[in-house]
Amino acid sequence: MDTLKVRDAKDVEEVVRAAIANEQPLEIIGHGSKRGIGHAMATNAVLDLSALNAVTAYEPNELIVTLQAGAPVADVLSLIDAKNQQFAFEPMDTAPLLGTPALGTIGGMIAAGLAGPRRIRAGGARDHLLGAHAVSGFGDSFKTGGKVVKNVTGYDLCKLLAGSWGTLSVMTEVTLKVMPKPEAERTLLLRGLDDAAANKAMTAALGSPFDVSGAAHLPYQAVRAGTDGLGDLAGQSEALTVLRLEGITASAAHRANSLRELLAPFGAATLIDDAASAALWATIRDVLPFAAGGALGARPVWRIVCPPASGAALGTRLAQETGGDVIYDWGGGLIWAALPPKDDAHEPAVRMRANAVGGHATLIRAAEDVRRNVDVFHPQASGVAALSERVRASFDPKAVLNRGRLSRGAVA
Amino acid sequence: MAIMMPASDQAVLARRAEIVAALRAIVPGEGVIDTPAEMRAYESDGLTAYRQPPMVVVLPETTEQISLILKYCAGQNVKVVPRGSGTSLSGGALPLEDGVLLGLGKFKRIREIDFDNRVVVTEPGVTNLAISQAVAHAGFYYAPDPSSQIACSIGGNVAENSGGVHCLKYGMTTNNVLGCEIVLMSGEILRIGGKGCENAGYDLMGVITGSEGLLGVITEITVRILQKPETARALMVGFAEVEAAGECVARIIGAGIIPGGMEMMDKPAIHAAEAFVHAGYPLDVEALLIIELDGPKIEVDELITRVEAIANGCGSTTCQISTSEAERNLFWAGRKAAFPAVGRISPDYLCMDGTIPRGALPKALARIRELGEKYQLGCANVFHAGDGNLHPLILYDANKPGEIERAEAFGADILRACVEFGGVLTGEHGVGIEKRDLMPEMFSEIDLNQQQRLKCAFDSQGLLNPGKVFPTLHRCAELGRMHVHAGKLAFPDLPRF
Repeated sequence: MDTLKVRDAKDVEEVVRAAIANEQPLEIIGHGSKRGIGHAMATNAVLDLSALNAVTAYEPNELIVTLQAGAPVADVLSLIDAKNQQFAFEPMDTAPLLGTPALGTIGGMIAAGLAGPRRIRAGGARDHLLGAHAVSGFGDSFKTGGKVVKNVTGYDLCKLLAGSWGTLSVMTEVTLKVMPKPEAERTLLLRGLDDAAANKAMTAALGSPFDVSGAAHLPYQAVRAGTDGLGDLAGQSEALTVLRLEGITASAAHRANSLRELLAPFGAATLIDDAASAALWATIRDVLPFAAGGALGARPVWRIVCPPASGAALGTRLAQETGGDVIYDWGGGLIWAALPPKDDAHEPAVRMRANAVGGHATLIRAAEDVRRNVDVFHPQASGVAALSERVRASFDPKAVLNRGRLSRGAVA
Repeated sequence: MAIMMPASDQAVLARRAEIVAALRAIVPGEGVIDTPAEMRAYESDGLTAYRQPPMVVVLPETTEQISLILKYCAGQNVKVVPRGSGTSLSGGALPLEDGVLLGLGKFKRIREIDFDNRVVVTEPGVTNLAISQAVAHAGFYYAPDPSSQIACSIGGNVAENSGGVHCLKYGMTTNNVLGCEIVLMSGEILRIGGKGCENAGYDLMGVITGSEGLLGVITEITVRILQKPETARALMVGFAEVEAAGECVARIIGAGIIPGGMEMMDKPAIHAAEAFVHAGYPLDVEALLIIELDGPKIEVDELITRVEAIANGCGSTTCQISTSEAERNLFWAGRKAAFPAVGRISPDYLCMDGTIPRGALPKALARIRELGEKYQLGCANVFHAGDGNLHPLILYDANKPGEIERAEAFGADILRACVEFGGVLTGEHGVGIEKRDLMPEMFSEIDLNQQQRLKCAFDSQGLLNPGKVFPTLHRCAELGRMHVHAGKLAFPDLPRF
């Protein structure tokens, strides 16, 4: 199989045009760090964007950075960190979960759209992608959006590109919003709550005026699993419910105290600060309790999004039914489930539970033979599925871009 | 009228009586309006320079009725223009002579308030402000606050992706909606998203938001609600130079402070507002900033001190800090009344809505001054300084021959300048008909074709709100055609591995 390493947007156009003419679908990659997510693709060639890796412009005072799609995420994070800025949606690093090298490009980060704990407050990748240049499946370069935050000029195609897994267009350059890093962070820890009580505590915290920027719950099984990044917190084999407050130092400390009082009915909360807090949230963001190199590394992992207040009931039942482990983020609105190995990765149980509350589930980690048996992405109601397919075809009528990644046998 | 709308379909107009009867069969009683006198209320929206009576107005009460109306119109090749409260400033709800005007005004029930999931499920005709009022008893509110929030509908907010003073910190509509029920032109009813943080599959909610009524008719919306900040205080800071005010805005953001709102007014706007509401604005300054900090009291007090120091460092000539809610509201009163205040000093005005990078503010204002001299028209500027969204108010008199044309040409040049400075044509008012013909200033034909292909995925006949947003309409079959790129059969000669 050919791997075509493009040097500029013109190369991308030419490769896509040749793919159309030859009816040879392309796999689109940056570093290839997330190739294991989705279905095996029916492609004949790989379009490699990793050489398209320049920082086009970084304007800290405008709160924007414009990057070529192949720019390494790690380099970009260091660049903006030096100006005390960050991507507020806290993109997850999938490497530990998938057991892949610590790589990844900006294009992959946006195309996967996997936001971290701050999703509940700051939004997701889709909320931070201001503009993009891309090559459609017509072989044409187009742009959408712009370089300013406030923009309603034309359809917001950025929203579609974020989270499209490379199936609509090949992004070549993107403009992203950056935000100042908070001066301080404080995390409250509640111990020993069962899932239902933890969900109630998180709901109370998120319904408070204290501007909570992270709300997660690690049941005791997850804490016991000998996890990296939990440090001393893992020693006690007790469930951990954690709530994060960020901002200027005086404010974060003040709100932490107010929240502690509000949550007194759930137990006496302890507090961790800055570096320790940041390490804990990186653990949650990257789902380290389920890391490929850890005790549960052989299990398939589902990512379930649901109404936050439904989280505990869904997660508890799913864990009981399957003998699996779960972790809650987003105040209960995101459940990571590592279920015992099985041919179908317990798909019927996962779908049934998710559908019952209006949620959806993605099989983020599973062996290729399992992914052949199971829909990785959540099947949608027929009308929405048909509309989504028309939307896909409006960008890529010949399905030359990542053909087959999103659904089994959808496109021959 | 300078803007050409799509040619009327004479075959449809000839069947008007039959179409009205068919709509009456779907929506009984007073829900179908077809007399010229009664239809007059619908002949324009907030862009009052353009008026056009519709063929017929229909005011359905249920999603099923909307589905039947759209299905009927699709079958009869009849155009449909959706309308919420009719407050659009870009002509998004301007009727068509041969089109059905579909009013959503009877969809005014809040269906569910869910405090545990922090969402409200509402019908589209509910006003923006009514959502905040419905949850205020529990300390919640809906964050996006367009200045028309007392009248504008949440359905219209979704269609236009409305902003407001507080969207610098809290986001626009698109950042605050989670799901919807939408009826496609075919009559098909779909549910997109829900109460979770993210949708499954492609982010259809994201692209429906801001689609200006061209993709579907929204019949239910799920919005996020937030807890009200504990307190808010404002600073009112005057500068002798516009440049210094611009620098102050940049330094506040550069210091990592994201205020709840950060507004700028220039001298003509300050004077007009002060004469109208007597807010105590300084009259000897070239630029006035109103900066609002919100959050816990301890945080607001600290940030007020920091912002004050930054303003002093930028050479502010006056600085007042609110010490009470009454004073904070007074600071805002002039800004919030800026449009009607300008209405008092000029028989008519055009409100523009470009966005520029914050750093381009001084040169944008200088350009607007030059253009004002060229067109011999006055201009007052109010500006969402925090996010670069500029609202020049061009003063003219429609009764003087040629002034409206000059005002429109002036406005178009301002928007071209916004694009030239790295910005965009519209920050929050939408393209509608007003900026439709300027779209090629910002987008190539390829860019616009890709947008129209998306339209085809939702509305293959192009019957929903045609004539808005896109300067040139293409048939879907034509847009879907794949160009043959001759001689491109081989992959190009690139490094291979």
